[in-house]
Amino acid sequence: MSVRRVARALEQRLLTLVAALTAVVLLVLFYYPVATVFADAVLADGRLTIEPITAILTSEFYLVDIIWFTAKQAFYSTLASLALGLPAAWLFSRFEFRGRETLRSLTILPFVMPSIMVAIGFVATFGRNGTLNRALSAVGLPPVELLFTLEAIIVAHAFYNAPLVARVVTAAWESVDARTIETARSLGASPRRAFRDVVLPQLLPSIGVGATLTFIFTFASFPIVLALGGFQLATIEVFIYSRVRDLAYAEAASLAVIETVISITLTAVYLRYEASQRSAGGAANPLPRRSVLPTDWTPKSTLRTAGIAGYALVVGLVFVVPIASMILASVTGGDGGFTLANYAFLAERQATGASFQVKPLPAILNSLAFAAGTLVVAVPMGVTMAVLTTRRYRGRGLIDVLSMAPFAVSGIVVGLGLLRGLVFGVDVLGTRIRVTGALAIVAAHAVGAYPFVTRNVAPLFARLDGRLVESARSLGATRTRALVDIELPLVWTGVVAGAAFAVAISIGEFDSTIILAEGAGSYTMPIAVERFLGRRLGPATAMGCLLLLVTSASFLVVDRFGGRWGEL
Amino acid sequence: MRRRTFLKAAGAGGVSALLAGCTGTGGEQTTTEASGDTTETTATATTTEGTTAGGESPTLTVGTYGSFVDAPSSSPGPWLKETFESEFDATLEWQTPDSGVNYYIERALQGVESGADLYVGLDAQMLVRIDENLDEALFSPAEGISRLGDVNEQLNFDPQGRAVPYDTGYISLVYNETDGDGDFVAPETFDGLLESEYAGALLAQNPTSSATGQAFLLHTIDAKGEDGYLDYWASLKENDVRVLGNWEDSYNAYSNGEAPMVVSYSTDQVYAAESGEDMAKHQIRFLNDQGYANPEGMAPFADASNPDLAAEFMDFMLRPEVQAEIAVRNVQFPATTTAELPEDFAQYAQEPPEAVTFSYDRLQDNLSDWTDAWAREFARK
Repeated sequence: MSVRRVARALEQRLLTLVAALTAVVLLVLFYYPVATVFADAVLADGRLTIEPITAILTSEFYLVDIIWFTAKQAFYSTLASLALGLPAAWLFSRFEFRGRETLRSLTILPFVMPSIMVAIGFVATFGRNGTLNRALSAVGLPPVELLFTLEAIIVAHAFYNAPLVARVVTAAWESVDARTIETARSLGASPRRAFRDVVLPQLLPSIGVGATLTFIFTFASFPIVLALGGFQLATIEVFIYSRVRDLAYAEAASLAVIETVISITLTAVYLRYEASQRSAGGAANPLPRRSVLPTDWTPKSTLRTAGIAGYALVVGLVFVVPIASMILASVTGGDGGFTLANYAFLAERQATGASFQVKPLPAILNSLAFAAGTLVVAVPMGVTMAVLTTRRYRGRGLIDVLSMAPFAVSGIVVGLGLLRGLVFGVDVLGTRIRVTGALAIVAAHAVGAYPFVTRNVAPLFARLDGRLVESARSLGATRTRALVDIELPLVWTGVVAGAAFAVAISIGEFDSTIILAEGAGSYTMPIAVERFLGRRLGPATAMGCLLLLVTSASFLVVDRFGGRWGEL
Repeated sequence: MRRRTFLKAAGAGGVSALLAGCTGTGGEQTTTEASGDTTETTATATTTEGTTAGGESPTLTVGTYGSFVDAPSSSPGPWLKETFESEFDATLEWQTPDSGVNYYIERALQGVESGADLYVGLDAQMLVRIDENLDEALFSPAEGISRLGDVNEQLNFDPQGRAVPYDTGYISLVYNETDGDGDFVAPETFDGLLESEYAGALLAQNPTSSATGQAFLLHTIDAKGEDGYLDYWASLKENDVRVLGNWEDSYNAYSNGEAPMVVSYSTDQVYAAESGEDMAKHQIRFLNDQGYANPEGMAPFADASNPDLAAEFMDFMLRPEVQAEIAVRNVQFPATTTAELPEDFAQYAQEPPEAVTFSYDRLQDNLSDWTDAWAREFARK
């Protein structure tokens, strides 16, 4: 009896509890650390000042050559990511073809790829002697000089972000209710009209998410800009990094504050838009899929098939060839011949490496353990924030924006803040409180991952009919029970999509992990890749391929499992 | 077993568990012999303190950069630890924070003790950065080192006698003879780089974040003067020089034939020989017959808990046979005049006719201005 009452009380307050814990995690692992760095922008010798920020805002160099240029390249990168990602969403959600599920699972790979791996793949694909130029010369066309240009950066940004657009939009497209279209069609709307008036409005929020996130991420891009573009195309993050390295903290923090304000403003604009989208939807009743190859070859279907084939060619060039080139690089020796020496190095390091050196197997296991931990922490955090996001209350807009802030703050700033705030510790009543190690890493990963869950789930929540929850509650269900039994099954595609991002963010994360790690024992796969970079790139590429392999395998498992769970 | 506990804790206990941080004032990011069992480290939220494996023997904690102990080819770290421990009744622990010496500067700025006894891997530029940003001494002068006199005097880069050089290297161009029609020759002078036949032919690195990039920038300042280097770089930019993020980026592009020249180390052929590469693709060019020397030094932390042991270790590092091992394993040149190098070392490791380097005094008050001015010039769109 009393146990039941406690359980019910807990159930009633579970959402509040998770929300409170989310707030604590954000405070400890994000807001406090970031504040220790941002303070440098507005404090000088303990007094408030606006001098560092005005110095940047009045500098033509920073305003025009750096900030404006950074925004411009982010805008182009966003357009390119949409152009490359939206057709994929259409294919994944509307067509049936062999390997669709597998291919869809693998779209997560770019998220986990260290920039040096992408640089290796891109140079081998788009370079002077790359695959593209060899193919062009084979058919008698002149070579293209793509590397070390703005275009190269944009294509690389699309490599990272088009899969994000594709995944988010696919999840939304698959939860479009087929009956709404049938209704429109039965009322006489043409297929095109039905798409524009019925489907598109349901997709726009997810397209908005994809575009907003792509802009924010590419706005803060940095290693890939320097690897494939060069310093003449330096972005704001390049300067934040070099200012931090030079210990010029006031200038670094000011640049980072400006960067964050721009990203946050954009996020806020998007969130306002998302909140205004409240088309009434119902139970998920997905659209039927059709075959890629048409059953009868009308001019229209032929054109569509040709378009798909052309798109497949572009995808092959931008995604498949670079990844294949990385794999090839890992088995190519100094003399250009085939070798397994790089993998032999990994095996040898595993067998004989000293305790303070990075070993491949512990790195793999750590990555998987942190990813599993992140999944368990980030999904409840993200879903809870999504529920809060779709409720109406005073100050909601602010909570929304604050909860998205982990996306909008420079990773360099977060890293420095974690060092100052958590690794060095805070004096509390004479003892120094430090927070490092595995749990801190998982929490830091969850902070970077949960907004993905929120953004995947929130638009679907918003489309749910509020009366469903109301009727459940009037029948005596707690808010948590209504969430678990009624709402979650209806937004499950979003939860799975968000969970996949959470895992990918965790596996690919580098900055916070290396700062919170306690020596070689808690290093992960991306750190191993970085540590194995030497005067020869081979060992690092081999480790990078292991990273790809492990990630692919775990995603095939996660997606299958997640999909099946949703069907139950 | 422990891992399972961790997963359970993360799942059931949820995020509150992370608040169970650790209390204490001891060492930091310490890689210890005891933490060899990785699952154990993963499972706990407490920091591995400076424990010693052998009971009462003292622990020497040495901060350094990652590749000094953990490079894929070879690194001196493991050998040094083994040899030192076999002779001295002490445990050597390597600390390799990702941001290198900046990590210790940051600790000092935040009023936290260094947590290490000495740092291995300093150069003049780092010392300038430290002295510009810290009021209190991070390092103390190296004392009680009997072999100090063995160090090649020209390599001493710290007028305050804190950093003791233990090896040195030269930054030069590496070029590919087989490029184009197979008869590519790198220019012999800095001016030569500006000629149109070398348009787009050079890959360099970001001087604000890469050691080779910084050394190359300093070399151009030495060659063209404080008043001339920005104009020189404007011409280089005009001639499509490519300044990439770090050495790895540029060397990857170089290896794929994106450009026939790259700023790199004059020991490049050692690695090329190891992996059986064509030496024609690894030719060394010292522009103006000079190489920029970048000696690396070690210095004891001012708050070291074992200063005597630190001095013993530094003395150990300067022994002739240890100097030779460091040179070979770190692929650098020894810092002492007494090192006993293996005969084949000179075959692939090249030294410039003339070594140039800026003194600490010249770099002081200038280094960040020079670099900033360069960055603002080069990033102008």
